Amino acid sequence: MSKKIETQTYERFPVWRRIEHIIMVLSFSTLGLTGIPQKYPSSTAGAAILQALGGIENLRFIHHTAAIVMMFGTAWHILVMGYSVFVMHDKMSMLPSLQDAKDGIQALFYNIGFVKEYPKMGRYTFEEKLEYWAFVWGAAVMGATGFLMWNPITSTHYLPGEFVPAAKAAHGGEAVLAVLAIIIWHIYGVHIKRFNKAMFTGMQTEAEMLHEHPLELDEIKAGSAHRRPDPATIRKRQMIYFPIAAFLTLGMLAGILGFINVEDTALTTIQPLTEPQIYVPQTPVP
Amino acid sequence: MRLGKQIQSAHSGISLRASLTLLLGLLFFAYAVVSFVTPVQAAPVFQADKPANDFCLACHQEDGLDFKLGKDTIAATINPTQFGNSVHSDQSIMCVDCHTDISDYPHPKVKSKNARAFSFTLFVVCKQCHEDQFLKVQDSVHQRAIDGGNTNAAICTDCHNPHTQGRLTGKTSGELTPSARIHIPETCSKCHSGIYDAYKTSVHGNALTQENNTDVPTCIDCHGVHNIQKPTTVSFRNSTPFLCAKCHTDPAIMDKYGITTNVLNSYVADFHGTTVKLFEEEFPGQPTNKPVCTDCHGVHNISKVDNPKTGIALRENLLVKCQRCHPDATIDFPSAWMSHYEPSPEHYPIVYAVNLFYKFFIPAVLGGMIFFVLTDIFRRIVNRIKGVKHV
Repeated sequence: MSKKIETQTYERFPVWRRIEHIIMVLSFSTLGLTGIPQKYPSSTAGAAILQALGGIENLRFIHHTAAIVMMFGTAWHILVMGYSVFVMHDKMSMLPSLQDAKDGIQALFYNIGFVKEYPKMGRYTFEEKLEYWAFVWGAAVMGATGFLMWNPITSTHYLPGEFVPAAKAAHGGEAVLAVLAIIIWHIYGVHIKRFNKAMFTGMQTEAEMLHEHPLELDEIKAGSAHRRPDPATIRKRQMIYFPIAAFLTLGMLAGILGFINVEDTALTTIQPLTEPQIYVPQTPVP
Repeated sequence: MRLGKQIQSAHSGISLRASLTLLLGLLFFAYAVVSFVTPVQAAPVFQADKPANDFCLACHQEDGLDFKLGKDTIAATINPTQFGNSVHSDQSIMCVDCHTDISDYPHPKVKSKNARAFSFTLFVVCKQCHEDQFLKVQDSVHQRAIDGGNTNAAICTDCHNPHTQGRLTGKTSGELTPSARIHIPETCSKCHSGIYDAYKTSVHGNALTQENNTDVPTCIDCHGVHNIQKPTTVSFRNSTPFLCAKCHTDPAIMDKYGITTNVLNSYVADFHGTTVKLFEEEFPGQPTNKPVCTDCHGVHNISKVDNPKTGIALRENLLVKCQRCHPDATIDFPSAWMSHYEPSPEHYPIVYAVNLFYKFFIPAVLGGMIFFVLTDIFRRIVNRIKGVKHV
């Protein structure tokens, strides 16, 4: 029995999910790292990063590039989520529910010894949902405030100018929150507590499933887990979804392009002050 | 014979000792004279038997001494009162100390073709006493212009008329006196009258020329004196914030006028200043397209920010400045710059609110996370001690 649950594996993350994760890891880390000198220009760490990356202009370019990569990652995520929901009719197991709050409280109570049982959870635990939705919130805030700073002229056509420095403040605050939350919650939850390799291998053993996602395992074993629709149905839904997805793709690409190109914020050359006539001798009084 | 020889030898012995003593005494006396009389800078070897200034002035206070050099007329008349008030007279400098080629009458003929050329032959004698200043000028933008063939560029005597120049520095302090500071812009205006006209109307120039207020900068506070550098270079531009900050972060000056000393900090904290600071640290002397103080406030024509016509506290006026680099900017754009304000409920309340939100939101979220993680660690340790299998 115990031998079997160590070897029996279940797929947790298909390959496109793992690619998505790597894209986010790389862009998030780059954004965080190149953000340090911009948020803390006087810090030693900031100076070191600035030095290593060849100055503020290079650093901004890298920061912007990483932001574009994350935008593409987000667009890709939206497209595959749409496919999963509309074509495959997968369960929307990432949606938060009251049960998650109960699970969270029960887990806390278990930790401090108020209850004997750790909550039994399904495909996504409350910890994972918290992190996912925090990421969604963070991406929305960072995207919106990033747009305001990247395109201040366009923004001030529609909003008071004060929104731009407010965006800068929010961008910095949210960045600190996001980076530290990843370090505390994510690094502890999936690297320190137990090194969870599922996001890299895509698989989990039955033993791990028993620990972390017992309800999902029950569903799989009971056969009540989601079943793949038959090919004909899939094809029929694809015929509807693909045009919508194509339209959505064009829209999102246009959005990203607009984000990057909607305005020429500033001239790249220095505008010389109108230089005064240097030698203007006083006319002698006759 | 024997006696005579003795006397002779004794005589010659005394003679040697006496002459050595005399020589040493003379040397000591010379040293004493030199060390007492010498001012800070080495005394030039002046003419030995110099004609007194009165001797020169006997003729040179008379009118009608003008003479022609080419098309120029040289006025050789010296006003004895004015000269008497000059620092050179005060220091007992003699006419012939500078006019080294003249010792009696008739004077040697002036060979220069015009007045300017004549000045160029004469001003080098300033170095005799003012070597420091003279050498600094060698490194100045004026000297560079002269080297490039522009003889209009200033030499010592253009700013300091040696016959009338009064004392500029305090006798004991060595610092420039307030009355000297007041006249500096007038001196520069002899050649830079266009800039002087702009300066006079500025908040600084107006205070100096109309109110005799010497808290404000004169030309030399920004440009330096003697070794004046070209002010249009990249490094000069990049260092502007720190130049202005010299006075504008000094509460001793600013408090009198109720001006904040936080301008440099607030500049560095905002978009442009952060970039300029970071850029300047990495690439000193490389141009950056981000603005420095002068790009918004002006240079010689700096006006009060609340001046109803030109003040950049009015966003219409500031917009014009913004548009130099942001040509598409519209009227709401200028308030994207926080105008050196610290966000507060009165100024920039949204920024203030955002900062306030994150001030509580960040510790609340992270605190919650840390608490949960700590309880998790606690439970794992307890379970291990009790030998209970953790879920």
